[in-house]
Amino acid sequence: MISVYYFGAISLILIGLYAVLVKKNLLKMLIGLSIMETGVNLLLVSVGYVAGRSAPILSEGIGPNQAVDPIPQALVLTAIVIGVATTAMALSVAMILHEKYGTLNVEEIRRLRG
Amino acid sequence: MNGQYASLLIALPLISAFFVPLIKGAGKKAVKYYLIAVTAVQTGIAAWIFQQVYTTGQPIIVMAGAWRPPVGINLYIGHFAALFVLIVAVVSFMMAVFSLRAIEVEPIDKYAMLFLLLMLGATGMIATGDIFNLFVFMEITAISAYALTAYNKTGEAAEASMKYIVLGGIGSSFFLIGIALIYGSLGTLNMAQIAQLAGGMNATVAQVGLALIVFGLAVEAELFPLNAWAPDAYQAAPHPITAMFSAFVVKAGLYAMARILYLMQAVESWQGVLRLLVIMATLTVFVAEFAALRQRNVKRMIAYSSIAQIGLIGLAFALGTQSGVDAGVFHMVNHAIVKALLFLAVGHVAVTLGGAEMERFEGLGKRMPLTAFAITVGAVAAVGIPLFNIFWSKLRILLAAIGADYAWAAAVVLTASVVEAVYYFRLIHRMWFAGEGERINEGLAVSLMLLFLAALVIVIGVYPDYAWSIAQKAGNDIFNVAQYIKNVPLMGVGA
Repeated sequence: MISVYYFGAISLILIGLYAVLVKKNLLKMLIGLSIMETGVNLLLVSVGYVAGRSAPILSEGIGPNQAVDPIPQALVLTAIVIGVATTAMALSVAMILHEKYGTLNVEEIRRLRG
Repeated sequence: MNGQYASLLIALPLISAFFVPLIKGAGKKAVKYYLIAVTAVQTGIAAWIFQQVYTTGQPIIVMAGAWRPPVGINLYIGHFAALFVLIVAVVSFMMAVFSLRAIEVEPIDKYAMLFLLLMLGATGMIATGDIFNLFVFMEITAISAYALTAYNKTGEAAEASMKYIVLGGIGSSFFLIGIALIYGSLGTLNMAQIAQLAGGMNATVAQVGLALIVFGLAVEAELFPLNAWAPDAYQAAPHPITAMFSAFVVKAGLYAMARILYLMQAVESWQGVLRLLVIMATLTVFVAEFAALRQRNVKRMIAYSSIAQIGLIGLAFALGTQSGVDAGVFHMVNHAIVKALLFLAVGHVAVTLGGAEMERFEGLGKRMPLTAFAITVGAVAAVGIPLFNIFWSKLRILLAAIGADYAWAAAVVLTASVVEAVYYFRLIHRMWFAGEGERINEGLAVSLMLLFLAALVIVIGVYPDYAWSIAQKAGNDIFNVAQYIKNVPLMGVGA
């Protein structure tokens, strides 16, 4: 069954990919990368989504049969943490680049060739 | 001894990385010696596991928290993983020794931490039995690799690192989408269970999922067109790290790709994905060899040559036959030895003479004869001259390609190898027959490592049978998925 979340996730991924491939400003590219990661996370969560069920926390009236699949949610938590690490790494490298080249335009940052 | 001690392979580098700041109090030198000590212990553990797996013939399966898979995460150390974990540990140890001489830029403690995490990530990727865990280890490897690429703090290093981050970010997103598709249709992340259930998967979903995973891992595995980061990163990274990238980080990516590919061989649309990979791999060889021809920087030239060899391994894995996989594993072993040798020697020259441009290699035969000899052995081996190790694995790959009806791919690869001979012999000519110079002290530790690796190249070249039988066992570990499923003690959940 195709849920509406899939379309949201795929469009976020495509918007992010567009930004990474087309934008000239390094920060915009990194924002694109983050948007793409968000899209992937949304896709993962929607894989485990079951209409009409509640969060997978065992409490009164909610047994294993009334909850959604918990595994994708655990995976998304991990993926978010990894995404934060990557973004932090990328931003610090962007800082060094700005220090050395005085610009964030990727067309001007091109010393390595061939 | 209990096989569960194999989990030390993951635990030791991780814990040791956290102790680095404490060791730093004892001085800069102490951190470097600490790094050597940890990698030496890791090599010991890996050697024990190698011996254990190859004498009993049984894989070691570590179950985290004693939960049986697929509920718990398991490590699967079969013939392949045992062999490559050992290679990772040995190469790391050598590069830790080399770091003593090669790394002068501060901060050394951060370098040591990232070094250990890089080793941890590659070991984990090779040993894990769970695809999401594979993703996590891949990101550990990738993030430490990004940081190490930028370690020299020059503009070039930051630029190379940024390219790597952007491509790596796209790749890991693709990989995660692939995992989401597989999980969505099979409801499991355990590799053995995926293999068990793969036959019932929708052919289109499986094809898209596999293609996304292949694309995602192609960034780490340096397959065209996702390898644009590699030559820059190889050139800009500190010399020991370059050797580690080429010797095992790439191999871990390739292995992960091959493993997931062969797990899903029951899927109907499998052949289509293989064809995609054959085309990517052949293009990799072709493009990289011609790019290597016009390089002025020797480190960059060898980086391109390394990418070409990786393409060859990718081709071998994409053939989908037992002989192809065996040949690919054999080439992985040989390539790890040869590229560790070449990058170590070139890095040694660059440290001693202050750069890796072609001009500095003139007269190297007179200035640093031992290093020049090592480079010559490595170069001749990389070209594929008989009686050197890569000759045998190249031959096996070509035969396997012809056997699998990919004669055109074999032809392209052979043509590209001729180009390889041109640029390597140009380098050898420069070293021995041009220029003059005074003799320079070469350093005992590095000389010993160079001699050891060069001896290994020649010994495997003259007596390939033993190495070949090990590679065959390891290749069988990847190819024989039925055996893999049987080895993992799956709980009867959700099957």
